[in-house]
Amino acid sequence: MAIEIRSVSKEFKSGKVLERISLSAEDGEIVAIFGPSGSGKTVLLRLVAGVEQPDEGRILLGGRDVTDQAPEARGVGMAFQNFALFPHMSAFDNVASALTAHKVPRDIIRAKVEKIAALLKIEHVLGHAPRELSNGQKQRTALARALVAEPKILLLDDPLRNVDAKLRYEMRLELPSLLKASGSTVLYVTQDYKEAMALGDRIAVLSDRDFAQIARPAEIYQRPATINVASLFGDPTINLMPVEPLSSSIGPKITIGGTALSLPSSYGRMAGKPCVLGLRAENIIVEDTASPESVPVEVVAVTPLNERTLLLLHTNDGREILASEAGTNEAPRRHGAAFARFDPETVLLFDPASGRRIVPQAA
Amino acid sequence: MSEAALSIKSVDKIYEGRGKGPVHAVKNLDMDVQRGEIVALLGSSGCGKTSTLRMIAGFEEVTRGDIVLEGRRVNQMPPARRKVAMAFEGYSLYPPLTVRDNIAFALKSARMSPKDAQRSVAEVAQILEIEPILDRYPSSISGGEQQRASLARALVRQADLYLLDEPMGQLEPRLRAVLRGRLKSLLVDRRMTAIFVTHDQTEANALADRVAVMEGGVLQQFASQKDLRERPANLFVATFVGEPPMNVFESKVVNGDRVRFAIDGGPTFDFAASDIPLSVRAAIGRREKVVIGVRPHAVRLGVGSEDARIVSNQWLGDQSHLAMEVAGKLMVAVSHAPIPAEVGERLKFGVHASDLHVFDVGTSAALSHGLEAA
Repeated sequence: MAIEIRSVSKEFKSGKVLERISLSAEDGEIVAIFGPSGSGKTVLLRLVAGVEQPDEGRILLGGRDVTDQAPEARGVGMAFQNFALFPHMSAFDNVASALTAHKVPRDIIRAKVEKIAALLKIEHVLGHAPRELSNGQKQRTALARALVAEPKILLLDDPLRNVDAKLRYEMRLELPSLLKASGSTVLYVTQDYKEAMALGDRIAVLSDRDFAQIARPAEIYQRPATINVASLFGDPTINLMPVEPLSSSIGPKITIGGTALSLPSSYGRMAGKPCVLGLRAENIIVEDTASPESVPVEVVAVTPLNERTLLLLHTNDGREILASEAGTNEAPRRHGAAFARFDPETVLLFDPASGRRIVPQAA
Repeated sequence: MSEAALSIKSVDKIYEGRGKGPVHAVKNLDMDVQRGEIVALLGSSGCGKTSTLRMIAGFEEVTRGDIVLEGRRVNQMPPARRKVAMAFEGYSLYPPLTVRDNIAFALKSARMSPKDAQRSVAEVAQILEIEPILDRYPSSISGGEQQRASLARALVRQADLYLLDEPMGQLEPRLRAVLRGRLKSLLVDRRMTAIFVTHDQTEANALADRVAVMEGGVLQQFASQKDLRERPANLFVATFVGEPPMNVFESKVVNGDRVRFAIDGGPTFDFAASDIPLSVRAAIGRREKVVIGVRPHAVRLGVGSEDARIVSNQWLGDQSHLAMEVAGKLMVAVSHAPIPAEVGERLKFGVHASDLHVFDVGTSAALSHGLEAA
């Protein structure tokens, strides 16, 4: 069932949390709501569920305006999940609790619980109490409870937050197909950019009371709308540095570490204007020998990072740049003098005043 | 003549429980740290890493065994006389002193001239990006700043050994990545000997020359991060280290004209005996069951004799993580480029003999890594 949030605002005593935000999710779509803590992500879910009322704006579910309706009157199956279990109930009863409230016959409850348990691979622990379950089984049990009622809309509030890293990783791999199999339209709140990229068909980046960008994960990563969005995605965080493009006979150029570097001609209009250059660590190539338009650098530190190797570079004009190379073969990489270059097509430019990305334009 | 800055000899730590039974936190630990070496104690909470650090510092007594610093047995020596500098996870800055005075405190008691002390403080403050808060008081700065101040206070001191407890835990990711690099270059340049505790393997790998992996109070393996990854001593290390960790499967093994690993309820990896060196075949011996492992980065996709259904295919900006259903579990493959395959499709995969790890099914100890016996 489609979700449409139209120009919704919400203010608490402590101040405005959401200001005229809009978002629509198609039937069966998973939209990851991503943002730093305190950015209003949970409030947004509560507004959709109906446990909070917007100050202004409308909320439509399946094309029907439900803004003024109580949660139970919204007429849609909705699961609001934080993945907590009732400690005194068996796993089976925990899952079934989502149905018993709806006066479903017992044999149908049993069939439905067993079916979802099979999908989530918890059939063998249905008789166990939560304390007898591993963390992974607890998560699956809670997810089973959310899915068993076949909600048309599923609201998940950072469900993996308190899960250890290993299980979190496994769930990140498995959740998308489980959610897709349920057919629910999902709003999935998370503070972890990798989770947002892995799970979301689209990501809605919440920042400063509004969505800074709503787009597919690859789009957000490659063409972030703002400096802030660019910094929230990527490990290590994107390199940002002030530059001022100058025009030359062959197009705009910037100077880093004493080297003039060509930018795509589509940035020609930025000549003479201060910009912020954004360069992802994995787009910087570090070599032992100079090549045209390479920047002399000093490799200050070499540190492995997730099957990649992170290089901390200093330029002779005092800039500090992080580069990352695929692989962890440290042997050939030494400290000391080297040369860095990058593909101009991977460069991002931002307006320092507004923080917005400067969109390249055909000359 | 040993160069060891620190020797831990058959050390046990048993906490006498209050009301409960005793807790055996560290079991028969043997470890040498060389001068100028950077060592990480890595493990999840309760693995014994912090107890170990505190015994070295002198804040916990050793139940059994010896701790030898620069050739001196220090079991009974108070912390202040051990010539170690420790940065605490709980920061423990002196509230009435500014950050600057907190950092300089130990230098004053060490009778360093005020001028030299100022220079040392300024230098470390620049490296850790805390210059703007030097004149503030601990109560008015953030957790991350307190952590860096505490780290600075340890690093400015002259000590034989630096002990750092979760040194970067509170910092935001960008700063952490940059500071890791700077901290490492500082430690290396000054040939400082350092031991730090962390639960974060990224941090351990980034900073340490060698990593001591602990679990259940037992040292599982003490090796370079390259060896931990390529030659894990046992299944615990294999499935703990690595992001993501190694894929492991119980498998039947036939060690004859062909060497065949048949995963229970899953695919079979079949090698000509000539592909597997004799030493590896000898290590596997007459076992009928083993556990085989393959690193996510070593899974070959799109080629091979087996195929499996794709459960997920996730592009994270600089790498792709693909999960396939193999023998009722997930097998993960990682690539630095996007993988052109759809969820639900079947994809061929294979493993080279050189990427295959074999473990004993009973003891979980490694038998072979690729083309070498363990």
